[in-house]
Amino acid sequence: MRYGFLDEDAKKEIRRATLKAIAIPGYQVSFASRELPIARGWGTGGLQMTLAIINEEDCLKVIDQGCDGSVNAVNIRNFIVSVTDNQTTLDTLEADIIQSRHRIPEEPMREGQTLVLQVPYPEVLTNVEADSYRQKVMHANSDYAKLWVLLYEDTAQFGDSRIGHRYPVMVHDRYAMDPSPIPKYDTQKLNNNKALILLGAGREKKIYAIPPYTKVEPLKFEDKEFKVESFADKKCTRCGASGVFMDEVHTNDGEVKYYCNDTAYCDKNLEGKL
Amino acid sequence: MGFVAIKGGEEAIRNSLAFYEEEINLSQKIDPLAIENTLRYGVDKVMSEGSLYSKKLSAQAILKAGGDLLNASFFLRAHRSSCARAGIAKTICTDEMRVVRRISSAFKDIKGGQILGPSSDYEVKLILKKAVDKTVWDDYKNDDIFVESALKPLRDANMIKTLPKDEKISDITRVFPSAPYPRSAVMQIMARGESGSMLAFAYTSMRGYGDVHPTIGDLRLGRSEVRFTHPFTKNEVKIGEIDITACEAAATFEKQSDGSTKLTTGFGCCFGFNETKAISMSILDTTLYNKSHTIGQGGIADNFEMIVHHIDGIESQGFTNHYKLPHYVTFQADLQVYENAKKYSNQEEKK
Repeated sequence: MRYGFLDEDAKKEIRRATLKAIAIPGYQVSFASRELPIARGWGTGGLQMTLAIINEEDCLKVIDQGCDGSVNAVNIRNFIVSVTDNQTTLDTLEADIIQSRHRIPEEPMREGQTLVLQVPYPEVLTNVEADSYRQKVMHANSDYAKLWVLLYEDTAQFGDSRIGHRYPVMVHDRYAMDPSPIPKYDTQKLNNNKALILLGAGREKKIYAIPPYTKVEPLKFEDKEFKVESFADKKCTRCGASGVFMDEVHTNDGEVKYYCNDTAYCDKNLEGKL
Repeated sequence: MGFVAIKGGEEAIRNSLAFYEEEINLSQKIDPLAIENTLRYGVDKVMSEGSLYSKKLSAQAILKAGGDLLNASFFLRAHRSSCARAGIAKTICTDEMRVVRRISSAFKDIKGGQILGPSSDYEVKLILKKAVDKTVWDDYKNDDIFVESALKPLRDANMIKTLPKDEKISDITRVFPSAPYPRSAVMQIMARGESGSMLAFAYTSMRGYGDVHPTIGDLRLGRSEVRFTHPFTKNEVKIGEIDITACEAAATFEKQSDGSTKLTTGFGCCFGFNETKAISMSILDTTLYNKSHTIGQGGIADNFEMIVHHIDGIESQGFTNHYKLPHYVTFQADLQVYENAKKYSNQEEKK
């Protein structure tokens, strides 16, 4: 089998689409999206991007819902290693490429790193406009009126937007973008990040990107603060960390405990290496 | 209720796979050749949706999937993705098919006649074992049958609307088109679409969300030669034969831009013997390219976005099954938003 599973033409196409995406931050570039031995909707977009950019020296980390050890992360990591023979790590700072689903690591990323996010719905306008041709025209005109109306109606009824995750962001003051289903807590990390952030949607056949040091702001009314998930008074039961995104765990005797969602961070904290 | 972060995936996956192997263990003892030579409609469905013409691999995939046909198509599709592309074969003309079954419900008397061929249409669906008839084949000739489309006389009389031909044929496995979608791309998407999805979408147009009452102009099953331009000699060579199903549906008439009135038709074609799929595809081709006459809302089946993005079984299956993956980060985030909204409405009520 070829290095990185994909044939050279596929890798070339994905790299070219990725370069275009980096050149136009937040803009969705179409690509053919190859069929993989892993199901659509299980991270095939991120996987194709990782396979297209990875080289022999790269050290890889794979996260699923904050955890390197969960089934899908393990499966994807095993697949990539079986077709590339790359080194892998659990340490955010050690990795050159981090493929992730639903989370941006707690530890700040550095220059030269690439975060590949798996994306189920790349189109931020889908909920307000289902027709992809009209979506394209709206993006071209930077016409996000329908998104603002949705935001307004939610705020009028519920005091805030009903969007819990994949909160729409404005990239470099030009394109509204779906940041993949990360919590709002992570949305803020997109802004001015030192790492290159690539987003790949295999089923929807779209690639987009946020280059390092790019302005990314959540869509928000000026007089409304952007409220993120808060675990202010909570401490990780395992490592004692606070001020991080937590998993709420209900034990069998009805107790509620909190744990760091980013398990690699939790391990590192426990070992005193942070 | 204990809900703990799902870790230790490595071992869990291994155990789960072993358990699964055990579950479908017996099917692995069946000779794939037996599947290939017996369960032809299953094999054909998998080839068609897996979009790779190989009865042998299709049979193997069915065994590998323990009889789950959609999963079998997935195996085939992933394998296809790793195959090198030699080029694009010459377009098959269905008039040149070696026909084993061909019917028309639009015309009683057609050139070449109605050929019932192998069909379960008139089978009484009783699951009981019955004595096999020792059929005496009256007037059976083993000759190759080639018949022109039953719609040809209408076409010759310039009564049928024609659509412009794509200048360049799309290849949806290499470049996925964006809207407006070229017709060749739409036809490819449908040709490998999931039979059940296509049937459901086509059915919507027949029974209320549209106004297509199609008449089957020509439905045919048979074998077709695949011809290819040899890369070195540049001669056209026959590289094999494939089983295909093709259907031309005739619908209503419509005023054209040049003022003439023409009959509208739709075309469906897929690998193997898949009559319902080919008929559904021809109906969807009709609904997509001909305006509905119903007053009010547009139909579901005449919406390109609806068909192009929702017809693929392997993609929709993959996405549907991804919901089995943990979602506790997003659900946690949703819960907090919900708690905030609840607090807000309680305050509003008190005011």
